[in-house]
Amino acid sequence: MVETITSYINDLGAAVVLPFFIFAFALLLRQGAGDALRAALKIGVGFVGINLVIGLLGGQLGPAAQAMVENFGVELTAIDVGWPSTAAIAFGSQVGAFAIPVGLLVNVVMLATGFTKTLDIDLWNYWHIAFTGALVAIITDSTAAGLFAAAIHMVLVLALADWSAPWLARYYGFEGISFPHGTSAPYVFLAIPLNALFDRTPGLRNWQADPDAIQRRFGVLGESLILGAVLGILIGLLGYGFDDPRGDSILILQLGINLAAVMLLLPRMVQLLMEGLIPISEGAQEFVRSRFPGRDFYIGLDSAIAVGAPAVIATSLLLVPITLLLAVLLPGNRVLPFVDLATIPFIVAMMVPIFRGNIIRSVIAGIVAIGGGLYIATSIVGLFTRAATDVNFEMPQNATRVVSLVDGANPVTGLFVLSGQGSWVGLGVLLAAVLAFAWWVRGHAARPAPEDTDEPADAQTRTSGA
Amino acid sequence: MKRILIVCGTGIATSTVIADKVRKRLAERGLDVKIDQTKVSELHRGAKGYDVIVATTDVPQSIDIPVVKGMPFLTGVGVDKALDDVERHLAD
Repeated sequence: MVETITSYINDLGAAVVLPFFIFAFALLLRQGAGDALRAALKIGVGFVGINLVIGLLGGQLGPAAQAMVENFGVELTAIDVGWPSTAAIAFGSQVGAFAIPVGLLVNVVMLATGFTKTLDIDLWNYWHIAFTGALVAIITDSTAAGLFAAAIHMVLVLALADWSAPWLARYYGFEGISFPHGTSAPYVFLAIPLNALFDRTPGLRNWQADPDAIQRRFGVLGESLILGAVLGILIGLLGYGFDDPRGDSILILQLGINLAAVMLLLPRMVQLLMEGLIPISEGAQEFVRSRFPGRDFYIGLDSAIAVGAPAVIATSLLLVPITLLLAVLLPGNRVLPFVDLATIPFIVAMMVPIFRGNIIRSVIAGIVAIGGGLYIATSIVGLFTRAATDVNFEMPQNATRVVSLVDGANPVTGLFVLSGQGSWVGLGVLLAAVLAFAWWVRGHAARPAPEDTDEPADAQTRTSGA
Repeated sequence: MKRILIVCGTGIATSTVIADKVRKRLAERGLDVKIDQTKVSELHRGAKGYDVIVATTDVPQSIDIPVVKGMPFLTGVGVDKALDDVERHLAD
C-alpha cells in the first residue's frame, strides 16, 4: 500500500506534488486560499519551465560537448545546468520543501538557546540545505537522514553567517544584517586564512587593481545574454569545426542563439518559483518575528545584496574566462562550466570583504575556490544527475550528465556527500563538528569586529542612498 | 506610466520579493507603475527610461537616476519611508 502511494507520488513528479505542499504550507501560515493557490500553481509552472529549458540546454550543448571530446579530447561532458536547476532539484526532491520548516525550526531553537544571533528570513535560500539533504537522502536511501543533513547544514550556515557578520558590516556598512547563504558563506573558511597568508607575502601585500577599469573593459562578460551567445558560437566552432560551411555554420549559429536563450530563460523560470514562495516567506517571517519580539539579532538575508559592490563584480568578471580555462586545463575535470558562469559573484561575495576589496587577492582566492570546486563537482556528477532525474527533469538522450557550480562545486556539498557516505555515523560526526564550530563562533563573535586599521581598498564603495 | 527598475544581484531572487512589495504597496497608495527587474552586472550600460531605481546593492557611479535603498523591503524596517522616497522621485 505504502509502496503504491510512493510510486504514485514519484510518477506525478515534483511539478505536481510541490504545489500541494506549498498550498498546505501557505494555508498553515494563514495566507488566503486564493493567494495560496496562485503561489502553489506558480511553483508548479516554474518547475515545468525549468524542465523545458534544461531540455533545450542538454539537447543543444550535449552533442556539442560530445563533439569537442572527439575533436580535441577535451572531456568536458558534464554540463553545468546552474543554480536555477539546482534550486529546483533541491526543492523538488524528497527532502525538498520540508527543508523550510526543518530549517526554520533549527533556526528558532538556535536563537532561543543563544547558539546563533541570526534569524534567517531568506526562505528562498533554504534550497541550499534542501540540496545537500537531497544528495544525502540518495546516498543513504533515507529521507530521514536527508532531513537530518539539512538540519546540520542549517546550523553550519547560521554559524558562518554570525562569524562573517563583523567583516561584512565593516566593508558594506550594513548594520544588523548577516548572510546565511549556502553558496557564499562557506568560502569565508577559505578567505580568512588566505588573507592572513597574503598579508605575509611580500609581493602581494600591496598589489591592487582598479574595479572601475575592469568593469569598463570586461563588463560585457557580466551580461548573460551575450555571454551565452558567444560561448555557444565558440563551443560550436570547437565542436563542429568548419569543414562543411553550410551544415556547420547552421549548427554553430543555432547553438549560439539557443544558449543565449538558456542563459536568459532559465533565471526567468526560477523567478516563478520565487514568486510562488513569497506568501510562505511572508507568513513564516511574521510567525518567527512575533515569537522573538525585541530581541537583538542579525537579520539573515540573501548575499545577492552584496554582489553589486564594484570589487565583487570586477573579481567575478575576471573569473569568467579563468573558470573556462581552469575547466579545460585541470586534468581529470569533467565539468563544462556554463550557466553558473553568471553566478560567480555569489562565490566571491563574502570573500571580497575579508580581502578588503582587493581584487588581486579575491581573484586568487576565486581560482582556488573554483579550481578545487571543479573536482568536487566532477566527483558528484553521478549523484547530481540522479537527483535531477529523481525530480523528473528529462535529460536528452538519457546520456547527458549534469552538475552545477552553485552548489555542486561547493566545499560544503563535498563535506556532506562525504559524511553521508558514512550514513548516520558520518552525519553524527558531522553534527558534532558543526556544533563545536557554532559554539566556538558564539564565544568568538561576542568580541568586537576584527582588529584592522587598513582602510577598505575601495573605501568609496557607493551605497545606494537616494 | 512611470517606470521603476528593481536591482539585485541576480535580477531574480531578492528583486522579485521587492518588486512584489513595491507593486502592492504603491497600488494601495493609488499608484499604478511598471516595474522591471535586472541584475546589477547588467547596469553598466545605464538604465534609460526609468524614473527611479530601487536597489539592494551598490549601483555603478555612472547611474544618474535617483536610487532608493531596497533593504527596508527585505527587513521590514523603514518600508513607509522608502515608499515615500519612491513616490517623491516618481512625482519629480
